Order: sequence, then C-alpha cells, then structure tokens
Amino acid sequence: MPTEAPPHVNRTRVGEAATFLEAISEALWEEMERDERVFLMGEDIGAYGGAFKVTRGFLDRFGPSRVIDTPISEGGFTGAAAGAAHMGLRPVVEMQFMDFVSPAYDVLTNYIATSLYRGAGPIPLVVRGPVGGGNRGGPFHSQNVEMAFFHTPGLKIVYPSNPRDAKGLLKSSIRDDDPVIFEEHKGLYRAPHCREVLPPDDYVIPLGRARTALEGEHLTIVTYGLMVHRSLDAATELARDGIRVEIIDLRTLLPLDEEAVAASLRKTGKLLIVHEDTRTGGIAGEIAIRMNERAFEWLDGPILRVTAIDSPVPFSGELEDYFLPSVQDVVTAARYLVEY
Amino acid sequence: MNGAEILGLGRQVTGLVISGPAGSRGYPVTPLGGRVAEDLLYLGFQGRFLEASVRNLASSGLLDTGLSNFGIDVRTTVIARAMRCGQDGRGDLCHPGLRSPGPALAFGATPLEVLRHLARKGTTPASARTGGWSWTDVKRGVMGWGGARGGMMTQVLAGAALACKQRGEDRAALVFETRATLQAGGWHEGMNLAGAVRAPLIVVVEDGLPSDSSEDMDVEAVAASYGVAFERVAEDAHERVFRMVASARRRAVSGEGPTVIVLVPLAEEDSWALHDDFAARVVAHGDATQSVLDDIESAAATAVDHASGRLNKEPGPSARDALAPVLTDAVPVVPWTRRDPPSPAPPPSTQRAIDAD
Repeated sequence: MPTEAPPHVNRTRVGEAATFLEAISEALWEEMERDERVFLMGEDIGAYGGAFKVTRGFLDRFGPSRVIDTPISEGGFTGAAAGAAHMGLRPVVEMQFMDFVSPAYDVLTNYIATSLYRGAGPIPLVVRGPVGGGNRGGPFHSQNVEMAFFHTPGLKIVYPSNPRDAKGLLKSSIRDDDPVIFEEHKGLYRAPHCREVLPPDDYVIPLGRARTALEGEHLTIVTYGLMVHRSLDAATELARDGIRVEIIDLRTLLPLDEEAVAASLRKTGKLLIVHEDTRTGGIAGEIAIRMNERAFEWLDGPILRVTAIDSPVPFSGELEDYFLPSVQDVVTAARYLVEY
Repeated sequence: MNGAEILGLGRQVTGLVISGPAGSRGYPVTPLGGRVAEDLLYLGFQGRFLEASVRNLASSGLLDTGLSNFGIDVRTTVIARAMRCGQDGRGDLCHPGLRSPGPALAFGATPLEVLRHLARKGTTPASARTGGWSWTDVKRGVMGWGGARGGMMTQVLAGAALACKQRGEDRAALVFETRATLQAGGWHEGMNLAGAVRAPLIVVVEDGLPSDSSEDMDVEAVAASYGVAFERVAEDAHERVFRMVASARRRAVSGEGPTVIVLVPLAEEDSWALHDDFAARVVAHGDATQSVLDDIESAAATAVDHASGRLNKEPGPSARDALAPVLTDAVPVVPWTRRDPPSPAPPPSTQRAIDAD
C-alpha cells in the first residue's frame, strides 16, 4: 500500500501550483490523514477515482471502508451518511454532479437540517460536488443548486472561487459540526488561470466570511464561484475607463456575510450582484433586501443583478453562452450603475 | 395488589391467563432463561400499563395529543430486546419505534420519557418542537424519528450500521418501517445500499398501519431482490421471535448483511395474549415463580404509575424553545421587522440622507 500521496494531491508539498481540483483532492486527503473519522461515499469514487478524478488514488491509501463506492442512490447514501455522522464519523459525500443531489433533497432538508432542532444532535457531514455551466453539459450536468438549499435553516452552503479558498474552506467544512453543501464549479477545476501555489501549512478558512477579491471605490460587485473571475475580467475592462470596482467574493453563502457586503456598500454606494444561478429566487434577491434593511441610506442607485436567464441550462454552446452571464453583461450593468 | 389496582385504572388490564403448557399456540418453545425472560416480562407489562395509562390520561383530558395511532405491540418490544441493548454507547442501535414505544422502552426509555413526548412537554429532547418520535441518544443506542418520511430511517440506520461495521464493532442496527413505506423510493435506496455494503441492519416492516396500500407487495421477493434475508412474525411466541431476531443479528454482525422482518398485524388483545402465554410458560418452566412474576408486574405498574403522576408537573415548552438554534455555532435570529427597530441602526452622523437635509 503506497504511503505517499499521488502527484495530484502532492502539489503543496513539492511547492508546485495546484489546480482547483487538486486543491480539493489535497483537502480531502489531508483531512483523511488527520482524522480517521473522515470517510468518503459516492458513485465511482473508489476504483474509478471519481468522475473528475478528485479521489484518484484514495482507495489504495485509505481502503474500501473509508472510500465507499455506492449504488446510484443519492438519497440512500446521503441518509446513510447522516446515520454514520450520528455515530461520530465525519462523512464526505460526493455527488457525481450536483444536479443529482435532488434525490437527497428529502433527507437533507427534512432530516439532516432539522436534526439539531429536533434534539437529535448535530450531523456533521459534507455533501460536495461539481456545479455550473459552460461545459456544454446541458440541463442535467450544469446546474447551480445553492438556492434549492438556501431556504433551509440548518444547512451551510459554501461556494469557493479559487484553489486556496477551496482547500481551506473544504477543510473547515469537514471539521464543522453542521451539515455543509459544498459547491465546486467545474469550470474552475482545471482552469489554467486558476492555478496557484497553496500555503504549505494546515490552514483553514473559516466559514461565513467573505473576502475582498478586488478593492475599489465606485461600485461594489458581490459574487462567488466562477463569477468572481468574470467580475474580475469586467473590472479590468472598466478600469480602462477609470472605474474602480470593489469585488466581494462571498465564499460562504449560508451563513451569509452580510456585514462584509454592507461595509463595501457603505464605501461605494452602488451594488451589483452577479451570480451564475438563474434569476428568480436567486441569492441576489436576498442580498438586495438585506442591504435594503441594513444600508438603505448609503445607496446611491438601484441594486442591480446580473444572472443567468430563468431557464434550464441549454445544451448547445451557442445557446448556453447566451444563457450564462458574460463579462460584457457585467460591464454593461456596472457602467449603468456608475453613471446613475 | 395487581398492576391495574396500583395504577387505579378501575379495571383489570393485565388479565394474566396461566393458560396451559408451553407451546400452547402449537409449536415447541425452548425457554429463554431467567434474565432475558424477566426482562421481557417487565418490558411487556410496562408497555401494557403504559398503553392503558395513556388512554386513561387522554380520556381524563390530561393528555391532549393525537392517539389514534398509539398502541404498543408487544412483539416490537421482544424484537428490540433481542438486540444487544446497552447504556454505554457500545450497544446496538435501535429506531425508537413507530406507533409503539416498545422498542424505546427496551432500549432504556422510561415511561416518563414516553409520556413527556406524547404530552408535548418542554422536557423532551426536542422541547416539543417536533411530532412523531424524534429521539436520538447514541449512548443508549436509540436513533431516529418516527415522523421521518418513508424509508428515510432505513437510510439513516443503514449508515449507523455501516459505521459500526467500518470500525469493526460487534454492533447492529434495527429500524421499524411501515409496509406502506415499501412503496417509497427512499426505502429502496436505503435498502439497496444496505444490501450492497452488507450493513448489519435489521428492518422490521410493520404491517397493517394506516396509509397502507401495499397489500399485494411480496416483501419476501423484494428482500430477495436486494440479496437480504427475510423472516415473518405473526402469532409467534416471544421465545421464537427473540431467537429469530437474535439469529438475524448474529448474521448481520458476521457480515452476512441485513434481514427484513415482516410483522403481520395482530389485534391488540392478541398481542397481549402472546405476552400472557409467555408469562405462563416462564412460570411453567421454572424460570420464575408466580411470586416473582407478580413482583415484576407490580414493579412495572409502579414505574408507570410514578410517571403518570409526574406528567402534570412537567413544564410545557416555552416560547424560547421554539427559537432553538438550527446550527451549532449560530444564535437564533429574530427578524427585527416583527418587533424591534432595525439593528444595527445607522449612526445619525453617517446617515448621508439626513446630512443632505
């Protein structure tokens, strides 16, 4: 049995830049090494190493009792993870695609999220997996699922935008005593521009705290996941015209770091919310009303949002590009707000 | 004084019938032995008195709760007692039961805990925040929620069983589901997983409960489709049920995987008749004297009597209980729009709108 981590989960040790996917692998590996209570469940995560190879090499190292290949029954194995968590273990459940979490919606919202409230104690587990469009995956392999769970008290939702955050937030999620939905945008998994050298130490990033991805003064963009990168590209274009945008990367959607948003809004007076998820019932609506409650007096313009269209994710590349928020969409909305 | 008199129920509810030889229902029965027999006798009497007490309290208006589905099936008590009950976090795991709290009693619940729950008292683990049985106490080995949707508890107990197997522990899990649940996809997902990973799990399917519309389902065939063993419990003697479950448990922990047990419905009086027959056999076999039997019955009645007397002294839930945190590290949020002004209120000196005026 090999004792060394395979190359794709060894980047930090050798000082090489890691992709987003490698950062996820590293976090899982390190947590499994650190805490024998941590184990993985999911479809094809063992011998096959996962649909995206996040867990390649894990079965050899940790064995079949900690890397469990499950039947195609997301509800069944998420419920089983809850039972294991009751028993003191720390399960990490992989959804092959997060679109497939819907069969587990029942147990996640009705049983797992209510456990503490029902007096049955906390259920520390992580449900993680790839989300998002842009890969021509069509309606069933491209969804963002955060808002399906955002309205459920008792859950936390994490959605990182870069390898460093992904690793630190996933380690925090595994160590957290509450159930966490952890979304990984597959467009970031192997994105060359997203590679970075990760801190060598056992770092964690606390849940519930946003970060300032870019400092500015004319406009606040609140966003997360892949849209952080779209917003940064937009900010570069806007900067050519002297518009300095501040970008808040939420990192954790639930609990929402509304103070970070409010602080930036107090500074800029303008707020644009960007998310890849569809428009109606998207997180932009919740952020807008919270800022209306907390920072109305600072607003110098309407709160706007740039989102996907209210539609299933199209399969055709041409249609999907039209459906998804683009850099130009962000630039256009930002210019309108700055000139308001 | 018999149990009914202790409880002041005004009628004979125990009605012990020392009716004849062992195996009076037509099959040979091997005695269980003193300790187990006495436990089963006590648990059975306790359940029987508790059921009578609940109905008594309800008819007296002292228990305001929906009892249409309440009824202790003594066979569920026997099934649960056949598991390895512990109080130290190292015993088996057991769902607390559906309409019958018998399994919970077998795993150490007190009659007062049962009554608290039925009366929606603030002293329950959930402070009356949920209906159904929501009781998870891993130390006592109780895990589950009677209010969970069909099949969900099979998933959860399968996971608990799997955790025991992963750690190499000599433990198994037991879950109760209704037959109607077998139509729910969640049950099949849980059963599929349990079968695939050979989880040390026993699934008891209680027949004849409300919402049952699966009479034609061949449960044995369903169990076979998941590669798991199947048993049926009808008017079986306690000894037979106990050994059947103990055997299923042994198979489970030895890696042979789950067993599905169908509990054929019985009329309430038939359920208690089974217990009376068992009591008769215990005495006939010399595992207990009639005097010991009477003492056990009295002790059970006293426990229920004590619990019934305490119930009205138990506080109801307070409004604060409703705001219990749903996260381990978060304080409950009270929306300011309902009662309080916005918080934090913008400091006047920085309110630009005001400054502009």
